[in-house]
Amino acid sequence: MTIENKKGWISWFNPFKYGTDRWMYALHRLTGIVLGVYLMFHVVETSRILEGAVTWNSLMVWLDYPFGPHFGPLILSAVLLAAVYHALNGLRLTIVENGLMLPKPYRPEYPYKPRSLRGLNNFLKIFLGFFMIAISAVGIIYIFTGAIL
Amino acid sequence: MQEIALKGFGEVVKTVTFRVKRYSPENADMPRYMEYKVPVQRGMTILDGILYIKEHLDHSLSARYSCRMGICGSCGMIINGKEKLACQTQILELGKDLIKVDPMGNYEIVKDLVPDLSKLFRNHQKVKPYVLREEESPTSEYLQTPEQREEYAMFTDCILCGMCLSACPTNAADELYLGPQALAQGFRYISDNRDLGFEERLNVLDSKHGVWRCHFSGACSEVCPKGVDPALGIQLLRQLLTENIFVKHKQKGTTRGPERKSASGVS
Ligand code: SF4
Ligand code: FES
Repeated sequence: MTIENKKGWISWFNPFKYGTDRWMYALHRLTGIVLGVYLMFHVVETSRILEGAVTWNSLMVWLDYPFGPHFGPLILSAVLLAAVYHALNGLRLTIVENGLMLPKPYRPEYPYKPRSLRGLNNFLKIFLGFFMIAISAVGIIYIFTGAIL
Repeated sequence: MQEIALKGFGEVVKTVTFRVKRYSPENADMPRYMEYKVPVQRGMTILDGILYIKEHLDHSLSARYSCRMGICGSCGMIINGKEKLACQTQILELGKDLIKVDPMGNYEIVKDLVPDLSKLFRNHQKVKPYVLREEESPTSEYLQTPEQREEYAMFTDCILCGMCLSACPTNAADELYLGPQALAQGFRYISDNRDLGFEERLNVLDSKHGVWRCHFSGACSEVCPKGVDPALGIQLLRQLLTENIFVKHKQKGTTRGPERKSASGVS
């Protein structure tokens, strides 16, 4: 009699020891879930505008300082980071998952470093990484100070 | 000369602890970890360690192995959290005093470190891993240049160890997913210039649990002991299927060599 040994969805979040792409996969899943949850709250929250200006304004004030000062902007910054990462990594995945910027079949040579996870794929990661830092920096400065560079 | 080469060989360098996951179907006890102290000599692999345990410490420990040289693909297991061939992993190279050995994930366990690989073989069969032609019994060979062979040669190195399925996070949650091994083999045969089975394989590959399920985590390529890079195979297959939407993919099928007198090809 055999016994089930599925790793299950929880293993999505165990990227240790499998390299950068696996880390990015785990983050992509995580940010996807975060954004999904945020979106639901966001829809519920904005629908409250139907209840009139007073409710809306008090809700806005509460959302800025839900659990003490700066918590609102912090949550917003986290959502921003998640959105930027998810979007840019999604872009990278669209490119590489269609076989673009990947090598042609090659002769594997010891110690067998897979080339699909390196080369131009790595270049894309670094390139989009810079974008991510730039966009997030502008966004977070805006969230906290209201200033656009 | 030989003495120099053998210097230090056979000496116990250090003692490591193997923490092995045990499961026994007879006693129906749930999987649990057991620890064994193994004296390590230079050159000892994880498989040697397991065999040492089996010989000297606990005869009931089970593991699957055959060639002991990374060819048969029997001895895949999770060593310190990553899928590795036990016979290809040096204990001293790991540099750890505690070595955790688990059976491969996403398969059922038969006993201890022995997974039931039938899912791997079933999926492999589904993609029809052979050259498909109309002729029942060809009388001459299908021609192929060395360059044409290079287009798929790397995927023929697969030894069916099944470690890619164990590492794959999609496979961890989707029972029906074909898996990196089968998808890479699908690509291998489609891109073989002798093959004519593209259409025939399409319903398996281009399905809900087929090639589109991959999210390119790259774990399969990272653990593959032969450098097959199944993730590359999957993405290239996807490219082929995407192009197929716009321009129908045509397999020409190669020309045939000169007719042979006997069917066995020996003239
Ligand atoms: S592709 Fe690599 S990891 Fe997967 S079964 Fe083949 S040899 Fe093993
Ligand atoms: S025993 Fe054959 S691959 Fe390890």
